[in-house]
Amino acid sequence: MSLPQPPAGITDPPLPSTAGSISLACRGVDAGYRDRPVLRDVSFAIDRPAIYVVLGPNGAGKTTLFRTIAGILRPTSGEVFVRGAPIVHQVSRDQMHYLSHMDGMPDGLTVREGLEFYASIERATAADVDRVLDQLEIRPLADAYVSKLSAGQRKRVSIARIFLVERSIYLLDEPTANLDPKVAREIRALILKLSQNRIVLYSSHNLFEAREIGEYVLALKDGRLTLFDRMENLRGTHFIIGVRTLEPSAALAQWERRGDYYLKEISGPDQVPGLIQELERQGVRIREVREMENPLEELFT
Amino acid sequence: MARNERSGAPPRFMGVRTGPNVATPSALPTLLGTTVRRSLVVGRISLAISCFMVVVYSAGFGFGGPLLISIGAYILPIFAVAGGIGGALVYSNDRLKGVLEYIVAYGLRPQRLLVNAVVASAVQVSIILALGIGAGVTTYLLSGHPMVPALVAVLLGYTVPMSFLSAGLMTTVGVYWTSLASPRSGMNSPLGVLPMIGLLPTGAVLILALAAPRAHAAQLVGAAELVIFIVLMVLWVRNERFMPTERLLSPG
Repeated sequence: MSLPQPPAGITDPPLPSTAGSISLACRGVDAGYRDRPVLRDVSFAIDRPAIYVVLGPNGAGKTTLFRTIAGILRPTSGEVFVRGAPIVHQVSRDQMHYLSHMDGMPDGLTVREGLEFYASIERATAADVDRVLDQLEIRPLADAYVSKLSAGQRKRVSIARIFLVERSIYLLDEPTANLDPKVAREIRALILKLSQNRIVLYSSHNLFEAREIGEYVLALKDGRLTLFDRMENLRGTHFIIGVRTLEPSAALAQWERRGDYYLKEISGPDQVPGLIQELERQGVRIREVREMENPLEELFT
Repeated sequence: MARNERSGAPPRFMGVRTGPNVATPSALPTLLGTTVRRSLVVGRISLAISCFMVVVYSAGFGFGGPLLISIGAYILPIFAVAGGIGGALVYSNDRLKGVLEYIVAYGLRPQRLLVNAVVASAVQVSIILALGIGAGVTTYLLSGHPMVPALVAVLLGYTVPMSFLSAGLMTTVGVYWTSLASPRSGMNSPLGVLPMIGLLPTGAVLILALAAPRAHAAQLVGAAELVIFIVLMVLWVRNERFMPTERLLSPG
Protein backbone atom coordinates (compact mmCIF):
# COMPACT_ATOMS: atom_id res chain seq x y z
CA MET A 1 0.00 0.00 0.00
CA SER A 2 1.55 3.33 -0.99
CA LEU A 3 1.87 6.22 1.38
CA PRO A 4 -0.64 8.87 0.32
CA GLN A 5 0.02 12.55 0.46
CA PRO A 6 -0.72 13.87 3.95
CA PRO A 7 -4.13 15.50 4.16
CA ALA A 8 -4.66 19.03 5.35
CA GLY A 9 -3.51 19.55 8.89
CA ILE A 10 -0.58 17.21 8.49
CA THR A 11 2.69 18.81 7.60
CA ASP A 12 6.22 17.67 7.00
CA PRO A 13 8.54 17.63 9.99
CA PRO A 14 10.26 19.46 11.55
CA LEU A 15 7.49 21.59 12.89
CA PRO A 16 8.12 25.02 14.25
CA SER A 17 7.27 25.52 17.89
CA THR A 18 4.31 27.84 17.84
CA ALA A 19 2.98 29.13 21.11
CA GLY A 20 -0.47 27.81 21.88
CA SER A 21 -0.51 25.19 19.14
CA ILE A 22 -0.20 21.45 19.55
CA SER A 23 2.15 19.50 17.39
CA LEU A 24 3.63 16.03 17.39
CA ALA A 25 6.15 14.81 14.89
CA CYS A 26 8.26 11.73 14.32
CA ARG A 27 11.14 12.18 11.93
CA GLY A 28 12.90 9.07 10.60
CA VAL A 29 12.31 7.16 13.83
CA ASP A 30 13.88 3.72 14.22
CA ALA A 31 13.14 2.16 17.59
CA GLY A 32 12.79 -1.17 19.29
CA TYR A 33 14.36 -3.36 21.87
CA ARG A 34 17.97 -4.37 22.32
CA ASP A 35 17.69 -7.59 20.38
CA ARG A 36 14.70 -6.66 18.25
CA PRO A 37 14.33 -3.54 16.11
CA VAL A 38 10.65 -2.77 15.55
CA LEU A 39 9.99 0.66 14.07
CA ARG A 40 11.72 1.52 10.82
CA ASP A 41 11.99 5.04 9.48
CA VAL A 42 8.63 6.22 10.82
CA SER A 43 7.91 9.82 9.86
CA PHE A 44 4.77 11.82 10.32
CA ALA A 45 3.74 15.15 11.70
CA ILE A 46 0.48 16.21 13.25
CA ASP A 47 -0.63 19.68 14.20
CA ARG A 48 -4.39 19.33 14.23
CA PRO A 49 -6.45 18.26 17.27
CA ALA A 50 -8.28 15.03 16.37
CA ILE A 51 -8.33 11.32 17.02
CA TYR A 52 -5.68 9.49 15.03
CA VAL A 53 -6.37 5.77 15.06
CA VAL A 54 -3.25 3.63 14.87
CA LEU A 55 -3.99 0.30 13.23
CA GLY A 56 -1.91 -2.70 12.34
CA PRO A 57 -1.62 -6.43 12.95
CA ASN A 58 -0.05 -7.83 16.10
CA GLY A 59 3.65 -7.08 16.15
CA ALA A 60 3.34 -4.20 13.67
CA GLY A 61 4.84 -1.79 16.19
CA LYS A 62 1.86 0.10 17.63
CA THR A 63 2.88 -0.25 21.27
CA THR A 64 6.51 0.44 20.39
CA LEU A 65 5.44 3.61 18.58
CA PHE A 66 3.49 4.78 21.64
CA ARG A 67 6.36 3.95 23.99
CA THR A 68 8.77 5.85 21.76
CA ILE A 69 6.56 8.92 21.55
CA ALA A 70 6.03 8.77 25.32
CA GLY A 71 9.80 8.90 25.79
CA ILE A 72 10.01 5.47 27.40
CA LEU A 73 12.02 3.99 24.54
CA ARG A 74 14.75 6.07 23.02
CA PRO A 75 14.87 5.96 19.20
CA THR A 76 18.00 4.33 17.80
CA SER A 77 17.82 6.95 15.07
CA GLY A 78 15.52 9.83 14.26
CA GLU A 79 13.68 12.01 16.75
CA VAL A 80 10.26 12.69 18.22
CA PHE A 81 9.19 16.29 18.64
CA VAL A 82 6.43 17.86 20.70
CA ARG A 83 5.81 21.47 19.83
CA GLY A 84 9.16 21.43 18.11
CA ALA A 85 11.04 20.28 21.22
CA PRO A 86 12.69 16.84 21.28
CA ILE A 87 10.91 14.34 23.49
CA VAL A 88 14.02 13.77 25.61
CA HIS A 89 13.17 16.99 27.45
CA GLN A 90 10.87 16.69 30.44
CA VAL A 91 8.91 19.69 29.21
CA SER A 92 7.83 17.61 26.20
CA ARG A 93 6.84 14.61 28.31
CA ASP A 94 4.75 16.83 30.54
CA GLN A 95 2.46 17.58 27.63
CA MET A 96 1.46 13.96 27.16
CA HIS A 97 -0.63 11.30 28.77
CA TYR A 98 0.23 7.71 28.00
CA LEU A 99 -2.24 4.91 28.61
CA SER A 100 -0.61 1.53 28.17
CA HIS A 101 -2.46 -1.64 27.20
CA MET A 102 -1.59 -2.76 30.74
CA ASP A 103 -3.77 -1.20 33.42
CA GLY A 104 -0.78 -0.06 35.47
CA MET A 105 -2.64 0.10 38.76
CA PRO A 106 -0.30 -0.51 41.70
CA ASP A 107 -0.95 -3.47 43.99
CA GLY A 108 -1.27 -2.93 47.72
CA LEU A 109 -3.39 0.20 47.30
CA THR A 110 -7.08 0.94 47.10
CA VAL A 111 -8.54 2.55 43.98
CA ARG A 112 -8.47 5.96 45.62
CA GLU A 113 -4.90 5.45 46.80
CA GLY A 114 -3.90 4.19 43.35
CA LEU A 115 -5.24 7.37 41.79
CA GLU A 116 -3.56 9.43 44.51
CA PHE A 117 -0.35 7.58 43.67
CA TYR A 118 -0.54 8.90 40.11
CA ALA A 119 -1.89 12.25 41.26
CA SER A 120 1.30 12.74 43.27
CA ILE A 121 3.36 12.21 40.13
CA GLU A 122 1.08 14.41 38.05
CA ARG A 123 1.05 17.16 40.67
CA ALA A 124 -2.73 16.78 40.83
CA THR A 125 -4.72 17.30 44.02
CA ALA A 126 -7.05 15.21 46.17
CA ALA A 127 -9.89 17.24 44.65
CA ASP A 128 -8.83 16.01 41.20
CA VAL A 129 -8.98 12.43 42.45
CA ASP A 130 -12.48 13.03 43.78
CA ARG A 131 -13.51 14.58 40.49
CA VAL A 132 -12.38 11.61 38.38
CA LEU A 133 -13.98 9.15 40.80
CA ASP A 134 -17.29 10.82 39.97
CA GLN A 135 -16.49 11.48 36.33
CA LEU A 136 -15.72 7.82 35.58
CA GLU A 137 -18.38 6.74 38.09
CA ILE A 138 -16.01 4.56 40.05
CA ARG A 139 -16.65 6.07 43.47
CA PRO A 140 -18.27 2.81 44.69
CA LEU A 141 -14.92 1.15 44.03
CA ALA A 142 -12.88 3.87 45.75
CA ASP A 143 -12.08 1.88 48.88
CA ALA A 144 -11.64 -1.50 47.18
CA TYR A 145 -8.16 -2.86 46.72
CA VAL A 146 -7.04 -2.76 43.09
CA SER A 147 -6.08 -6.44 43.26
CA LYS A 148 -9.71 -7.32 44.01
CA LEU A 149 -11.15 -5.65 40.90
CA SER A 150 -12.17 -7.37 37.69
CA ALA A 151 -10.14 -6.72 34.54
CA GLY A 152 -12.80 -4.33 33.25
CA GLN A 153 -12.96 -2.41 36.51
CA ARG A 154 -9.18 -2.12 36.61
CA LYS A 155 -9.18 -0.78 33.07
CA ARG A 156 -11.79 1.80 33.97
CA VAL A 157 -9.78 2.92 36.98
CA SER A 158 -6.70 3.04 34.81
CA ILE A 159 -8.47 5.27 32.31
CA ALA A 160 -9.51 7.59 35.13
CA ARG A 161 -5.81 8.35 35.58
CA ILE A 162 -5.60 10.26 32.30
CA PHE A 163 -8.35 12.62 33.42
CA LEU A 164 -6.50 13.78 36.54
CA VAL A 165 -4.84 16.64 34.71
CA GLU A 166 -5.17 17.98 31.22
CA ARG A 167 -2.50 17.36 28.61
CA SER A 168 -2.13 18.37 24.97
CA ILE A 169 -1.42 14.91 23.61
CA TYR A 170 -2.97 11.59 24.59
CA LEU A 171 -1.42 8.26 23.65
CA LEU A 172 -4.06 5.60 24.25
CA ASP A 173 -3.01 2.02 23.60
CA GLU A 174 -6.17 -0.08 23.28
CA PRO A 175 -8.08 1.92 25.89
CA THR A 176 -11.32 -0.03 25.56
CA ALA A 177 -9.88 -3.54 25.59
CA ASN A 178 -11.55 -5.75 28.24
CA LEU A 179 -14.44 -3.32 28.67
CA ASP A 180 -18.05 -4.30 28.14
CA PRO A 181 -19.70 -2.63 25.12
CA LYS A 182 -21.65 -0.10 27.19
CA VAL A 183 -18.66 1.13 29.17
CA ALA A 184 -16.50 1.07 26.03
CA ARG A 185 -19.02 3.30 24.31
CA GLU A 186 -19.02 5.76 27.20
CA ILE A 187 -15.24 5.80 27.33
CA ARG A 188 -15.20 6.50 23.60
CA ALA A 189 -17.61 9.38 24.19
CA LEU A 190 -15.23 10.83 26.78
CA ILE A 191 -12.29 10.46 24.43
CA LEU A 192 -14.23 12.05 21.58
CA LYS A 193 -14.93 15.01 23.81
CA LEU A 194 -11.28 15.06 24.80
CA SER A 195 -10.16 15.19 21.18
CA GLN A 196 -11.91 18.45 20.45
CA ASN A 197 -8.84 20.45 21.31
CA ARG A 198 -6.19 17.79 21.76
CA ILE A 199 -4.25 15.28 19.74
CA VAL A 200 -5.30 11.72 20.57
CA LEU A 201 -3.38 8.75 19.20
CA TYR A 202 -5.59 5.73 19.69
CA SER A 203 -4.65 2.15 18.91
CA SER A 204 -7.29 -0.50 18.59
CA HIS A 205 -7.96 -3.91 17.14
CA ASN A 206 -11.63 -3.08 16.94
CA LEU A 207 -12.28 -1.88 13.39
CA PHE A 208 -15.81 -0.77 14.17
CA GLU A 209 -14.49 1.36 17.00
CA ALA A 210 -11.68 2.73 14.83
CA ARG A 211 -14.12 3.75 12.15
CA GLU A 212 -16.52 5.23 14.67
CA ILE A 213 -14.16 7.57 16.42
CA GLY A 214 -11.15 8.04 14.16
CA GLU A 215 -10.77 11.10 12.01
CA TYR A 216 -7.42 9.98 10.69
CA VAL A 217 -5.85 6.57 10.39
CA LEU A 218 -2.19 5.62 10.67
CA ALA A 219 -1.44 2.09 9.57
CA LEU A 220 1.67 0.25 10.64
CA LYS A 221 2.98 -2.90 9.07
CA ASP A 222 6.28 -4.57 9.95
CA GLY A 223 7.31 -1.45 11.81
CA ARG A 224 6.76 0.89 8.88
CA LEU A 225 4.09 3.53 8.46
CA THR A 226 2.19 2.32 5.42
CA LEU A 227 -0.75 4.69 5.46
CA PHE A 228 -1.64 8.06 6.89
CA ASP A 229 -4.92 9.40 5.66
CA ARG A 230 -8.32 10.68 6.61
CA MET A 231 -10.67 7.93 7.71
CA GLU A 232 -13.34 9.19 5.30
CA ASN A 233 -11.02 8.51 2.37
CA LEU A 234 -11.12 4.82 3.29
CA ARG A 235 -14.79 4.52 4.10
CA GLY A 236 -16.07 4.86 0.58
CA THR A 237 -13.98 2.14 -0.95
CA HIS A 238 -14.88 -1.34 0.30
CA PHE A 239 -17.59 -1.01 2.92
CA ILE A 240 -19.72 -4.02 2.15
CA ILE A 241 -22.72 -5.25 4.08
CA GLY A 242 -24.47 -8.61 3.81
CA VAL A 243 -28.24 -9.05 3.96
CA ARG A 244 -29.69 -12.42 4.97
CA THR A 245 -33.36 -12.92 4.27
CA LEU A 246 -36.03 -15.20 5.65
CA GLU A 247 -37.02 -16.25 2.14
CA PRO A 248 -35.69 -15.65 -1.41
CA SER A 249 -36.62 -12.28 -2.87
CA ALA A 250 -36.75 -11.11 -6.45
CA ALA A 251 -35.66 -7.64 -5.33
CA LEU A 252 -32.22 -9.06 -4.53
CA ALA A 253 -31.84 -11.12 -7.68
CA GLN A 254 -29.19 -8.84 -9.12
CA TRP A 255 -27.14 -8.69 -5.91
CA GLU A 256 -23.92 -10.64 -5.58
CA ARG A 257 -24.17 -13.55 -3.14
CA ARG A 258 -21.76 -14.98 -0.59
CA GLY A 259 -23.25 -17.99 1.14
CA ASP A 260 -26.56 -16.98 2.65
CA TYR A 261 -25.80 -13.29 2.30
CA TYR A 262 -26.64 -10.83 -0.47
CA LEU A 263 -23.83 -8.28 -0.74
CA LYS A 264 -24.13 -4.54 -1.19
CA GLU A 265 -21.37 -1.94 -1.32
CA ILE A 266 -22.25 1.29 0.45
CA SER A 267 -20.35 4.44 1.26
CA GLY A 268 -20.76 4.25 5.01
CA PRO A 269 -22.72 2.78 7.92
CA ASP A 270 -25.07 5.76 7.95
CA GLN A 271 -26.66 4.39 4.77
CA VAL A 272 -27.74 1.14 6.44
CA PRO A 273 -31.05 2.31 7.99
CA GLY A 274 -32.21 3.80 4.66
CA LEU A 275 -31.25 0.64 2.81
CA ILE A 276 -33.20 -1.54 5.25
CA GLN A 277 -36.26 0.69 4.87
CA GLU A 278 -36.00 0.49 1.09
CA LEU A 279 -35.68 -3.30 1.12
CA GLU A 280 -38.63 -3.66 3.46
CA ARG A 281 -40.65 -1.37 1.21
CA GLN A 282 -39.87 -3.75 -1.65
CA GLY A 283 -41.16 -6.63 0.47
CA VAL A 284 -37.86 -8.19 1.41
CA ARG A 285 -38.14 -10.03 4.75
CA ILE A 286 -34.81 -9.30 6.38
CA ARG A 287 -33.41 -11.72 8.92
CA GLU A 288 -29.99 -10.13 9.46
CA VAL A 289 -27.82 -7.30 8.19
CA ARG A 290 -24.12 -7.46 8.96
CA GLU A 291 -20.83 -5.93 7.98
CA MET A 292 -19.02 -8.22 5.55
CA GLU A 293 -15.99 -6.16 4.61
CA ASN A 294 -14.51 -3.20 6.38
CA PRO A 295 -12.15 -0.91 4.48
CA LEU A 296 -9.80 -1.03 7.45
CA GLU A 297 -9.46 -4.81 7.31
CA GLU A 298 -6.93 -4.70 4.53
CA LEU A 299 -4.65 -2.70 6.78
CA PHE A 300 -4.26 -5.86 8.87
CA THR A 301 -3.20 -8.04 5.94
CA MET B 1 -21.17 3.86 33.87
CA ALA B 2 -24.74 4.99 34.26
CA ARG B 3 -26.11 8.06 32.63
CA ASN B 4 -27.09 11.09 34.63
CA GLU B 5 -30.33 10.08 36.29
CA ARG B 6 -31.99 13.46 35.99
CA SER B 7 -31.00 14.58 32.52
CA GLY B 8 -30.19 11.25 30.90
CA ALA B 9 -27.05 12.88 29.55
CA PRO B 10 -23.84 10.94 29.11
CA PRO B 11 -21.05 11.54 31.63
CA ARG B 12 -19.54 14.95 31.28
CA PHE B 13 -15.93 15.81 30.73
CA MET B 14 -15.29 19.14 32.28
CA GLY B 15 -13.44 21.03 34.93
CA VAL B 16 -10.11 19.35 34.28
CA ARG B 17 -7.09 20.93 35.89
CA THR B 18 -4.37 22.02 33.55
CA GLY B 19 -1.06 20.39 34.40
CA PRO B 20 2.08 22.44 34.55
CA ASN B 21 3.85 22.72 31.26
CA VAL B 22 7.26 23.17 32.76
CA ALA B 23 8.76 20.60 35.09
CA THR B 24 12.13 19.17 35.82
CA PRO B 25 12.94 15.62 36.86
CA SER B 26 13.78 16.94 40.30
CA ALA B 27 10.19 18.11 40.67
CA LEU B 28 8.96 14.52 40.42
CA PRO B 29 8.15 12.81 43.70
CA THR B 30 10.45 9.99 44.76
CA LEU B 31 7.51 7.68 45.58
CA LEU B 32 9.62 6.31 48.42
CA GLY B 33 6.96 6.60 51.11
CA THR B 34 4.34 4.98 48.90
CA THR B 35 6.70 2.17 47.93
CA VAL B 36 7.52 1.44 51.58
CA ARG B 37 3.86 1.40 52.48
CA ARG B 38 2.95 -0.82 49.56
CA SER B 39 5.77 -3.23 50.37
CA LEU B 40 4.37 -3.60 53.88
CA VAL B 41 0.95 -4.44 52.42
CA VAL B 42 2.13 -6.69 49.59
CA GLY B 43 4.73 -8.48 51.72
CA ARG B 44 2.61 -8.58 54.86
CA ILE B 45 2.37 -12.37 55.11
CA SER B 46 6.11 -13.08 54.97
CA LEU B 47 6.69 -10.11 57.25
CA ALA B 48 4.11 -11.26 59.78
CA ILE B 49 5.44 -14.84 59.82
CA SER B 50 9.01 -13.63 60.21
CA CYS B 51 8.02 -11.26 63.01
CA PHE B 52 6.14 -13.98 64.85
CA MET B 53 8.93 -16.52 64.53
CA VAL B 54 11.66 -14.08 65.45
CA VAL B 55 9.86 -13.01 68.61
CA VAL B 56 9.19 -16.60 69.68
CA TYR B 57 12.69 -17.86 68.95
CA SER B 58 14.52 -14.81 70.31
CA ALA B 59 12.52 -14.87 73.52
CA GLY B 60 13.23 -18.58 73.89
CA PHE B 61 16.92 -18.17 73.22
CA GLY B 62 17.04 -15.21 75.63
CA PHE B 63 15.87 -17.36 78.51
CA GLY B 64 18.52 -19.94 77.60
CA GLY B 65 21.52 -17.87 78.57
CA PRO B 66 24.60 -16.46 76.79
CA LEU B 67 25.26 -19.40 74.47
CA LEU B 68 21.73 -19.74 73.21
CA ILE B 69 21.15 -16.04 72.72
CA SER B 70 24.33 -15.90 70.63
CA ILE B 71 22.93 -18.67 68.43
CA GLY B 72 19.76 -16.63 68.15
CA ALA B 73 21.78 -13.60 67.09
CA TYR B 74 23.47 -15.67 64.36
CA ILE B 75 20.22 -16.94 62.87
CA LEU B 76 18.32 -13.67 63.12
CA PRO B 77 19.42 -12.51 59.62
CA ILE B 78 17.68 -15.57 58.14
CA PHE B 79 14.32 -14.27 59.37
CA ALA B 80 15.20 -10.75 58.35
CA VAL B 81 15.87 -11.88 54.79
CA ALA B 82 12.70 -13.96 54.61
CA GLY B 83 10.56 -11.11 55.90
CA GLY B 84 12.21 -8.39 53.83
CA ILE B 85 11.03 -9.56 50.44
CA GLY B 86 8.29 -6.91 50.15
CA GLY B 87 10.44 -4.42 48.24
CA ALA B 88 11.25 -6.96 45.53
CA LEU B 89 7.60 -8.09 45.45
CA VAL B 90 6.39 -4.56 44.78
CA TYR B 91 8.98 -4.02 42.06
CA SER B 92 8.17 -7.33 40.37
CA ASN B 93 4.40 -6.69 40.48
CA ASP B 94 4.89 -3.18 39.16
CA ARG B 95 6.87 -4.40 36.20
CA LEU B 96 4.38 -7.12 35.30
CA LYS B 97 1.40 -4.79 35.61
CA GLY B 98 2.84 -1.89 33.68
CA VAL B 99 3.23 0.47 36.64
CA LEU B 100 6.95 0.92 35.99
CA GLU B 101 6.18 1.78 32.38
CA TYR B 102 4.01 4.67 33.52
CA ILE B 103 6.45 5.83 36.13
CA VAL B 104 9.27 5.86 33.60
CA ALA B 105 7.03 7.70 31.14
CA TYR B 106 6.64 10.44 33.75
CA GLY B 107 10.41 10.74 33.90
CA LEU B 108 11.34 8.86 37.06
CA ARG B 109 14.75 7.19 36.71
CA PRO B 110 15.15 3.40 37.00
CA GLN B 111 17.80 3.93 39.68
CA ARG B 112 15.23 5.63 41.87
CA LEU B 113 12.96 2.59 41.56
CA LEU B 114 15.78 0.27 42.64
CA VAL B 115 16.61 2.47 45.62
CA ASN B 116 12.93 2.57 46.60
CA ALA B 117 12.71 -1.23 46.57
CA VAL B 118 15.89 -1.58 48.65
CA VAL B 119 14.77 1.01 51.20
CA ALA B 120 11.36 -0.67 51.45
CA SER B 121 13.12 -3.95 52.17
CA ALA B 122 15.36 -2.25 54.74
CA VAL B 123 12.31 -0.92 56.58
CA GLN B 124 10.94 -4.45 56.90
CA VAL B 125 14.31 -5.72 58.08
CA SER B 126 14.36 -2.96 60.69
CA ILE B 127 11.00 -4.08 62.04
CA ILE B 128 12.13 -7.70 62.29
CA LEU B 129 15.44 -6.79 63.90
CA ALA B 130 13.80 -4.48 66.40
CA LEU B 131 11.36 -7.19 67.43
CA GLY B 132 13.95 -9.96 67.44
CA ILE B 133 16.68 -8.14 69.30
CA GLY B 134 14.17 -6.50 71.59
CA ALA B 135 12.52 -9.79 72.54
CA GLY B 136 15.82 -11.66 72.88
CA VAL B 137 17.69 -9.09 74.92
CA THR B 138 14.70 -8.35 77.13
CA THR B 139 14.13 -11.99 78.10
CA TYR B 140 17.87 -12.50 78.42
CA LEU B 141 18.19 -9.64 80.92
CA LEU B 142 14.92 -10.47 82.69
CA SER B 143 16.13 -14.01 83.32
CA GLY B 144 19.08 -12.59 85.25
CA HIS B 145 21.91 -12.86 82.72
CA PRO B 146 24.40 -10.02 82.46
CA MET B 147 24.97 -8.19 79.19
CA VAL B 148 28.34 -9.34 77.84
CA PRO B 149 30.52 -7.52 75.29
CA ALA B 150 30.66 -10.61 73.06
CA LEU B 151 26.90 -10.54 72.58
CA VAL B 152 26.95 -6.85 71.74
CA ALA B 153 29.77 -7.50 69.27
CA VAL B 154 27.83 -10.28 67.53
CA LEU B 155 24.73 -8.13 67.28
CA LEU B 156 26.51 -5.05 65.98
CA GLY B 157 29.19 -6.82 63.95
CA TYR B 158 27.16 -9.60 62.38
CA THR B 159 23.42 -9.65 63.06
CA VAL B 160 22.51 -6.09 62.14
CA PRO B 161 24.85 -5.49 59.17
CA MET B 162 24.37 -8.94 57.69
CA SER B 163 20.59 -8.62 57.93
CA PHE B 164 20.59 -5.36 55.98
CA LEU B 165 23.27 -6.43 53.52
CA SER B 166 21.66 -9.79 52.79
CA ALA B 167 18.21 -8.29 52.36
CA GLY B 168 19.72 -5.51 50.22
CA LEU B 169 21.47 -8.05 48.04
CA MET B 170 18.31 -10.14 47.77
CA THR B 171 16.23 -7.14 46.71
CA THR B 172 18.84 -5.82 44.29
CA VAL B 173 19.30 -9.21 42.65
CA GLY B 174 15.50 -9.52 42.57
CA VAL B 175 15.11 -6.19 40.80
CA TYR B 176 17.79 -7.07 38.25
CA TRP B 177 16.56 -10.59 37.72
CA THR B 178 12.93 -9.57 37.41
CA SER B 179 13.89 -6.96 34.86
CA LEU B 180 16.27 -9.05 32.80
CA ALA B 181 14.38 -12.35 32.80
CA SER B 182 11.20 -13.36 31.02
CA PRO B 183 8.25 -13.38 33.40
CA ARG B 184 7.80 -16.67 35.20
CA SER B 185 5.78 -17.69 38.16
CA GLY B 186 6.09 -20.13 41.02
CA MET B 187 9.22 -21.39 42.68
CA ASN B 188 11.29 -21.08 39.51
CA SER B 189 10.57 -17.37 39.28
CA PRO B 190 13.07 -14.83 40.56
CA LEU B 191 10.81 -14.16 43.52
CA GLY B 192 10.62 -17.85 44.36
CA VAL B 193 14.39 -18.17 44.49
CA LEU B 194 15.17 -14.80 46.07
CA PRO B 195 15.09 -15.82 49.76
CA MET B 196 17.75 -18.42 49.02
CA ILE B 197 19.88 -15.76 47.34
CA GLY B 198 19.49 -13.62 50.43
CA LEU B 199 20.52 -16.50 52.66
CA LEU B 200 23.61 -17.28 50.61
CA PRO B 201 25.85 -14.50 52.00
CA THR B 202 24.46 -14.95 55.51
CA GLY B 203 25.35 -18.64 55.53
CA ALA B 204 28.66 -18.18 53.75
CA VAL B 205 29.86 -15.51 56.16
CA LEU B 206 28.73 -17.54 59.14
CA ILE B 207 30.59 -20.64 57.97
CA LEU B 208 33.64 -18.51 57.20
CA ALA B 209 33.57 -17.04 60.67
CA LEU B 210 33.15 -20.41 62.37
CA ALA B 211 35.87 -22.03 60.27
CA ALA B 212 38.40 -19.25 60.79
CA PRO B 213 40.67 -19.01 63.81
CA ARG B 214 38.81 -17.25 66.62
CA ALA B 215 41.21 -14.31 66.64
CA HIS B 216 40.51 -13.54 62.97
CA ALA B 217 36.77 -14.24 62.86
CA ALA B 218 35.74 -10.63 63.39
CA GLN B 219 38.09 -9.37 60.67
CA LEU B 220 36.85 -12.01 58.26
CA VAL B 221 33.23 -11.12 58.89
CA GLY B 222 34.03 -7.43 58.48
CA ALA B 223 35.89 -8.06 55.21
CA ALA B 224 33.03 -10.19 53.86
CA GLU B 225 30.50 -7.51 54.74
CA LEU B 226 32.65 -4.91 53.02
CA VAL B 227 32.77 -7.02 49.86
CA ILE B 228 28.97 -7.41 49.85
CA PHE B 229 28.60 -3.67 50.43
CA ILE B 230 30.90 -2.86 47.49
CA VAL B 231 29.02 -5.28 45.22
CA LEU B 232 25.77 -3.61 46.21
CA MET B 233 27.18 -0.14 45.55
CA VAL B 234 28.35 -1.17 42.08
CA LEU B 235 24.94 -2.66 41.28
CA TRP B 236 23.17 0.47 42.49
CA VAL B 237 25.43 3.03 40.85
CA ARG B 238 25.70 1.17 37.54
CA ASN B 239 22.05 0.20 37.55
CA GLU B 240 21.04 2.14 34.47
CA ARG B 241 23.94 0.73 32.46
CA PHE B 242 23.22 -2.87 33.34
CA MET B 243 19.46 -2.48 33.23
CA PRO B 244 18.26 -0.09 30.50
CA THR B 245 14.79 1.40 30.61
CA GLU B 246 13.38 -1.08 28.12
CA ARG B 247 13.94 -3.83 30.69
CA LEU B 248 11.40 -2.19 32.97
CA LEU B 249 8.56 -2.42 30.47
CA SER B 250 5.67 -4.76 30.95
CA PRO B 251 5.80 -7.84 28.75
CA GLY B 252 3.54 -8.14 25.73
